[in-house]
This record gives sequence, C-alpha cells and structure tokens, in this order.
Amino acid sequence: MAAFAILCLLLAALLWPERGLLPRWLQILRLSERVRLEDALKHVFACRQAGQACSVDSLAGHLAVSSGEAAALMSRLAGMGLMRMESDGPVLTQEGARSAVRIVRIHRLWERYLADRTGVPARKWHDQAERMEHALSMEQADALDARLGRPVWDPHGDPIPDAAGGMPPAPGIGLAAATPGRAVEIVHLEDEPPEVYDALLNDGLDLGGRLEIVERSDRGIRVRSGGREWTLDPIAARNVNVRELPPDAADDRPWTTLRDVRPGETARVVEISHACQGPQRRRLLDLGVVRGAEIVPELVSAAGDPVAYSIQGALIALRRQQAAWIRVESDGAGTAPEVA
Amino acid sequence: MPSLAPGGCSQHRTDSLLRLGLNPDKWDILVALAGNPNVGKSTVFNALTGLRQHTGNWPGKTIVRAEGAFAYENKRLKIVDLPGTYSLQAGSADEEVARDFILFGRPDVTVVVVDATRLERNLNLVLQILDITDRVVVYLNLVDEARRHGVAVDPQRLEQRLGVPVVSGVAREKVGIDDLLAAAYRVARGRQTTRPYRVERLTGSVEETVAALARTVADSFPSVPNARWVALRLLNADDAVVAAVRSGELGQLGGARPAEQDAPPPPQGARDQVLETARRLRWELPADFHDTLTERIFVAAREIAAAVGMQGLKRARFDIDRTMDRLLTNRWLGFPLMLAVLAVVFWLTIEGANVPSSMLAALLIEGVHPWLHGLGAAAGFPWWLSGFLFDGVYLATAWVVAVMLPPMAIFFPLFTLLEDFGYLPRVAFNLDALFRASGAHGKQALTMCMGFGCNAAGVVSTRVIDSPRERLIAIITNNFSLCNGRWPTQILIATIFIGALAPAHLAGVVSAAAVVGIALLGIITMFAVSWLLSRTVLRGEATSFSLELPPYRPPRVLQTLYTSIIDRTLIVLWRAVVFAVPAGAVIWLVSNIEVGGASLAQHGVAWLDPFGLLIGLNGVILLAYVVAIPANEIVIPTVLMLTVLTANVAGAGSGAGVMFELDSIEATGGLLRAGGWTLLTAVNLMLFSLLHNPCSTTIYTIYKETRSPGWTTLSALMPVAIGLTVCFLVTQVWRLVAA
Repeated sequence: MAAFAILCLLLAALLWPERGLLPRWLQILRLSERVRLEDALKHVFACRQAGQACSVDSLAGHLAVSSGEAAALMSRLAGMGLMRMESDGPVLTQEGARSAVRIVRIHRLWERYLADRTGVPARKWHDQAERMEHALSMEQADALDARLGRPVWDPHGDPIPDAAGGMPPAPGIGLAAATPGRAVEIVHLEDEPPEVYDALLNDGLDLGGRLEIVERSDRGIRVRSGGREWTLDPIAARNVNVRELPPDAADDRPWTTLRDVRPGETARVVEISHACQGPQRRRLLDLGVVRGAEIVPELVSAAGDPVAYSIQGALIALRRQQAAWIRVESDGAGTAPEVA
Repeated sequence: MPSLAPGGCSQHRTDSLLRLGLNPDKWDILVALAGNPNVGKSTVFNALTGLRQHTGNWPGKTIVRAEGAFAYENKRLKIVDLPGTYSLQAGSADEEVARDFILFGRPDVTVVVVDATRLERNLNLVLQILDITDRVVVYLNLVDEARRHGVAVDPQRLEQRLGVPVVSGVAREKVGIDDLLAAAYRVARGRQTTRPYRVERLTGSVEETVAALARTVADSFPSVPNARWVALRLLNADDAVVAAVRSGELGQLGGARPAEQDAPPPPQGARDQVLETARRLRWELPADFHDTLTERIFVAAREIAAAVGMQGLKRARFDIDRTMDRLLTNRWLGFPLMLAVLAVVFWLTIEGANVPSSMLAALLIEGVHPWLHGLGAAAGFPWWLSGFLFDGVYLATAWVVAVMLPPMAIFFPLFTLLEDFGYLPRVAFNLDALFRASGAHGKQALTMCMGFGCNAAGVVSTRVIDSPRERLIAIITNNFSLCNGRWPTQILIATIFIGALAPAHLAGVVSAAAVVGIALLGIITMFAVSWLLSRTVLRGEATSFSLELPPYRPPRVLQTLYTSIIDRTLIVLWRAVVFAVPAGAVIWLVSNIEVGGASLAQHGVAWLDPFGLLIGLNGVILLAYVVAIPANEIVIPTVLMLTVLTANVAGAGSGAGVMFELDSIEATGGLLRAGGWTLLTAVNLMLFSLLHNPCSTTIYTIYKETRSPGWTTLSALMPVAIGLTVCFLVTQVWRLVAA
C-alpha cells in the first residue's frame, strides 16, 4: 500500500501541469538559446518584410527580454554571419534570410497541418507552431509538406515558402483600402496579436469568407455578411486583407447549413465552409457535395447523430459537425418534388 | 498495331510493373478493374475469372489488390481488381493504389464497373479515368435493379457520349460478361479506337494558367496524349506525377502508343522547366481551385447522365429498403433489435461450438495423441523425443485447433452474412454517436464485434475504417474485446469460484453474469482507452468521417459459407497453428529441462511468485501467460499442468510438459485450490485474462496492418500495463477490506 502511495506521489511530482519536473524541463528547453536566436532572426526578417523599423528595443519588446539580452542576441547573430548592422538598424545577410525563411516555412506548414488534419482550434495554431518551428528538421518539414499535398497558403492566408525558399508577397489589399459597396473575399487574417485575432474569429470572419463593405468611417468599417451587419474597429480592420470581387458577386443569402434541413426537404449546396479543409473537404467533394448538388436528409440514426443523406443517388451518413460545414439553400417546404 | 507478345512492353513499363508486384512475363494482356465501392466490381471479377473472391456489401472492401488470370482467344489475360474508390484524387490509400496502377501499370485496358442505378455518381470516376487513359471499357452493371427502379439507361447513347465502348448487363447472373470480354479484348488489342470524353475547360485566368502549363508540358513531352491532365496534376502538386516528370518516365505514360513508349525522355533542362513553371504558377491559383475541378467533373457527369435517359436520381431506393431502414434505425427499436441480433449470433456461436469442440478434442487429444505415443514407442523413439514432439508440439497445436476452429467456423459466416446483407453498416450508423464521443469511428462497433470472435480477425477487419486515426484507435483497442479463446477460461473460472458463492440453483446465472460483466468491462475499457488515445498520442493523426449505407442485397448463403471459411477462419487458424507449434515446444522444454534439481518451469514459477502474489495472482499464472502467448486457448491447460508440476499434487495430470484438462469442473477446482488459489486469485485471473497482451497471432497481425513497430509495441504493452495495475489495485483494496 505504501509503495503505491509513494508511486502516486512520484508520478504527480513528475507530471503535474506547469509545476511538475517534466513540464518545467520542457519550459527550460523552450527558452533555450537556439530558440531565442531563431526568434530574433524571425523578428528582423518580419520587420524588414513589412517595411517597419527594427532595433534592439523592438526585439527586446518582441521577445520579452531586457535590452541588454536583446543586444547580446544581435551581436551573436552578427558573429554567426547571419546579420549585420546598418545605419537604419539590423539587416539579415543572405544566409540569415535563408535561415529565417526556413523557420517561417516550418511555422506555416505546421499551422496548415493543424488546420487540415487535427481538431486543434484556430486560436491555438500560432502558439503550437511557434514551438514546432524550432523542433522540426528540414527533412521532416519536407515530408510534412508532401503529406499535406504541398500546400501553397497557410490557414491565415500567408504564403508558405517552398523548399527552395521562394515566396510571393502576402496577397490582397487592406480592408480599409477596399471600395465601399463592393463585395470582397477575405484572403488574409493576421494572427498576431492574439487578442485582435480572437476578436476577428469571434466576429465570424474566416479565410475565404465574403463580406460587403457598407461604409467607411473614423470609428471603423461597417461590413455585411450572411444577412448580418456590424462594425469592425480600425485596429481589427488593419489585420484583414481582402480581394475585391466582380460587382455582381454580392451574395447576401441567409446562412442555412445542411444540419438545419429537415428529413424529406431538398437542399442545394452553395458551398463548403472554409473551416473544413484538407482530407475532410476532399472527402466531401468526392462524395458529391459540390456546388449545385441536391441533397435530401433521409434517415436519422437511432442516437440522433449522424444523419444519412441521399447524395447523388447514394445514402451517405454524415455527422452533425460535417453537415454544419455545408452551406445550402433549402426549399424549406418539406415536400421535395419527386424526380422521375 | 501494338505488339502483344509476352514481355512485348517497353523496359520502362516492365520496371514499373515489377515495382507494382506483377511479372509481365506471365500474361499477354493486362486488364485493370476499377469502379466505385459497392457496385459489384468483385462480382464482375469472379464472373470473369471463375475465382471465388469474397465480395462484401461493404464500401472499401478490396484493399488488398486481388488478381486473377484466364485465357481468351488463345491469349493469356491477367486481371487486377483495384480498390473501389469514388475518385482518383489520391486522397486516401485506396485511391492512391488505384490511380498509381492505372497510371504507372499502364494496363492494356481498364474496365470500369458502373452501377446503373447511380449513374451520375459513378460517372465521376469514369470521367477521371478517361482523363488518364483512353483504353477504357465501361460495364453498366445492375441494369435489372435499375429497371425495377424505373430507370432505363441507353448504353448506345452513353457510348456515344463517353467515346468508349459501353456494355450493359447483370454481373450476378453473368449477363453481358461475354460482350464485356469481347469489347475489352478489342480495345486492348487496339482493334477498336476510342475517343474519350474530356471534361471541359475552366474559365478566366485559371484556364490561362492551366493552358500555359499544358503547353509547356506538351512542348517537353510531345508523346503525352493528355498534357492538360498532367498540367492539372502538377498544379495539384501530385508527387507521383512530379516524380514521373523529373525522371522522364512521363513520356511513356497514359495512353501513349507503344511505338512511342521507348522514345527517349526529353532533356533534363526541359523537364526542370516544366516543374519550375508549375511551381511558379501554383502561387497564382485561387484557393478554391480543387473545388472547382471536382465540381466541373460532377457537372459533366450530371449532364451526361441526363442526356442518356437518367435524371439526377434523387431517390434510388426501394420502398422496402426505406421501410427496413426506418425500422432498423428507429430511435426505440434500433438498439433492442441490434442487441437481439448480436445475442443470437453469440448464442449460436457458443452453443453451436460445444459439440464439435468436444468431438474434436476427443479425436485429437484423446484419440490421436495416445496413438502417436504408441507409434513413437513402436518406432523406438527415446522418451524425450516423443515427449517433445507429441506432448509438446502436437498437443499445443491440437488444443488450439479443437478450441478455436468450431466457434470461428460458426461466428465468421454468421457475421459475413449480416455484412453482405447490409445490416452491419446500419449498426455502425446507430452506434456512431457513442464512438464519436470517444474520438473513434462508428465502424469500430463492427471491428469490436469481430474481435469477440478473434482479435486477429478484428484487427484485419479495421480496414473498413478509411480514416487513419480512427483505424489506429480501432486496431489498438481491439484486444479489449474478449475473444473466443478467452471465453472458455472465463466460463470455467467463474463457474468454479464465483458460481460457488451463490446458492446452487443460482450458480449458473451468477457465473454467467460474472462473465458478461467481464466482457462489458472490456467494452468500457475499449471506450476509455479510445478516448485517451484520441486525446493524447493520436491527437495529431488525420481524421475524416464518411459512412455509406449500401442498399440491402440478399446474401448468397453458400458462397458466403465457402468464402468466409476460406478467407477468415482458415487463415486465422493457420496463423494460430504456426505460432502454437513453437509454444508447445517451449512449454514442454521448460517443464522438462532441469537445472539444479528443478525444472526451468519450477524456477520460473518460484521467481515470478512474489510478484504474482503482490498483484493477487501467482507465479504459475504469470508463467503460463508468458509461455502461452501464442494462443489464449492453451492458457488453462498450461496452468493446470504447471500447478501439478509445482504443487506436487498426486494423481492428476499426465506428466511434466503435458497439458491437460479435467473432465469434471469440481476436480479442476480442487486442483486449483490445492495450488493455493483463492476467490481473489480467480477474480484477478478473470481480469488479467481480459486485460493482458494480445496473443502473438494478433501482435503479428497488428504489425502487418500498421507496418509500425511503435504502434505494435504500444498495442502489446498497454493492455498488460493496464491489467497489472488493475490486478494490483484490486488486490490492495481487497486485502484492505478483508483485513
């Protein structure tokens, strides 16, 4: 009995969240020197990409370290030949830029992986990718790339650098620059800082989603989508990039998903939500869930979920969560005309 | 005219065929058989080859490629049955297998089986295949079923629209098979040229992007018949196609004519140019590029289906199907009906197996075993040789066969009948909510039930789960289904120790309840472990759900009996026997090799005893589980033999290393009590029998299915760890309460 109690205590001491030996050890590992160097490299790269000023202070702020430590990091990077100081602040050497792109590649691939292949929620993607970018080797990243079907964009709309390091600029124009009255498609949602990103997600914005710009004012940008109208504050709006759609593309039909369709009603597919990506999306498409396809809920399982739908002549069971991804138009009458 | 002498194909093709596991010297014409799941593809295969390959009413049945051969007009034809898939976009392992075979195996003709009742859905795959190759024949199956639905498809018009031969028929009744063979032969020999339908172009800037790449491909590979398809695949970053461009193999793929098959590949520079262009253009594609492509194929399919006499058929379902579905998935009736069906299956298995099992035991153990000894004595075998061969190797094997064969020969055909009828997908449908909550797939209900028959078969059956994460969960947790080999142990121990606690007239009910309780505990553990796995080690694995409910089809009883005994029972039995032979040898050896005045077994038992007692078992049980790892069936005989050996009970057993069972349950109980067994030992043995490592047959099967030493190790060790922990805790609590 005593042996058992001791074993329990030992396990607790080892594994207790945040205070156990193992979590602490992992924490120390995370903050190791290499990680900080890589983060510093990434910071300088991101600043230069965005055309912003970059300095010891901005680095100290970004990494939450003292300016002394930040300066030490920079001089080490310079000593490694990855960076040099110029009049307007630090600049990456060719080698330094290559290393930075490599880290960015792993980060964005991992975000793509989390979005496509796992149930990890959007607000956790960035943090997990921050950790993985230091942990994966280039070979592992290539294998992941192949497994994911060599994606071009990460789930926030940022381009994923390819193995050779090539990468186009982030797409689209700022939401503030879009013409009022025009329909736009969201092509990029910035995920930093997390508070702003959270607010965007809570507003129901997602990549590939459509908005109509109602008006622009000092207080923010008034937008409409899916029959709902609201105002995005200027800071949030700055983190959204959009692409203007042709003038006739406004789509303000109310949102109905397949989940809301009652048995016997006929639904016509409008689109699959952009939240559904990767193999799940491909599977739905292959099953015949494509724009314009007609779907009739036929059968509810004994437990209420899943529901079997008649799709292109076959009876396919989908879970409620999947049905909620499928946006449809429904006649709502419950009397689907029989097709001869 | 293509030359079709054996091996008349190019070196390149020979290489890729060898890579796909086929030897091109053995036939003249290579036929691929493709189609959606559940369209009767395997029936066509059987009709063509006469081989009775098992055809299940299950989407995604044929994951292992089936092959057959036959002769036609003095030519040897080889036919390969590809996995049933909805598409060739290489999203799943099945699709990859099918796609790679059609692309790289370059069959002389590809026969696409199409379900006439769901033409529109099936045309999706046909159009994708027509994109890759123009040597295609379409077989319009199930026209009788379609006619009963009031649907008539005009094969001539379909042929005109698709530009490849279309043969209609009913494969089950061999209608149209001769015509199909003739058409396939004509296309394979190049006697009939085809003009396959190609899906229309896209619009706007996307089309320009695709067209630009297609031009580059056509410039570099002038022999490629469908540069546009190659361009699309490159834009989708299809690794197989990218590799074919890089190596230059692409020049020989698709419908390329044999004359061009040995054309030299384009220079390295041109190939790199193609890949570089594709890489650059990928940045210019819209995010919904893949959606649009899929959509266009479906639009084309809908348009063709409408033109050949079929509207988009919304309700291709019999009224009787609907009624049955309403009944079987009813909120109130669904679960009771399911439990009733399962109860009948188990009752038939356990009751039905009793008689043949005891007959086999009488024959093999009481009949043949002494006879073998007699034979050995007559031939002058030394005692150790006949002991090793007959008491060790033979007896273990005979035991496994006698206990294992009858229940499996009953359980598997019953299960297969339910499967062919189409009921099992409905069970998965009803139970999915439960499994979803623990992060698993509804089809795990079926693999779990299969595990009650045999865990190795249960692990194989997880192939019906097409999402990798859920399949791994099903494989790792299958061992928690109490298999046929463990039921007798449970029943015996429960009868001796637990039934004895109750008054005589209730003893039977109480011990039965204890066994059912253990089986339920197994199911609960399965859910708990699935939940844990899906939230820890398997969190990052891919997941996707889909479950097709196929139409009900009358099962073919005789064929099912034949194939399920061949496919499942005998294969599993064979594997078990292979593992039982060395185990028998080891059991005999450890009982008979003496070191320092005691046998190895006695040393082992003495060494394991302290630990065994700590967790409420004993050294005999632990040693029995170690040496009897090949099959749970021989655990009890081994335990009895070891008990006699170590406890020095007089008058029982037949000597060191000779496994035995006693005719009377009371005598067995007496022997075990003499070996120091208590009620606690019995309870813990029942728990440990449920919660321990899978038998070696199952471990081997898990390795074959996962191809991963890591997952195999986890599946083997985790249940033991759980079992030891549970036994330890039960013992500590028991002793605390008892004291």
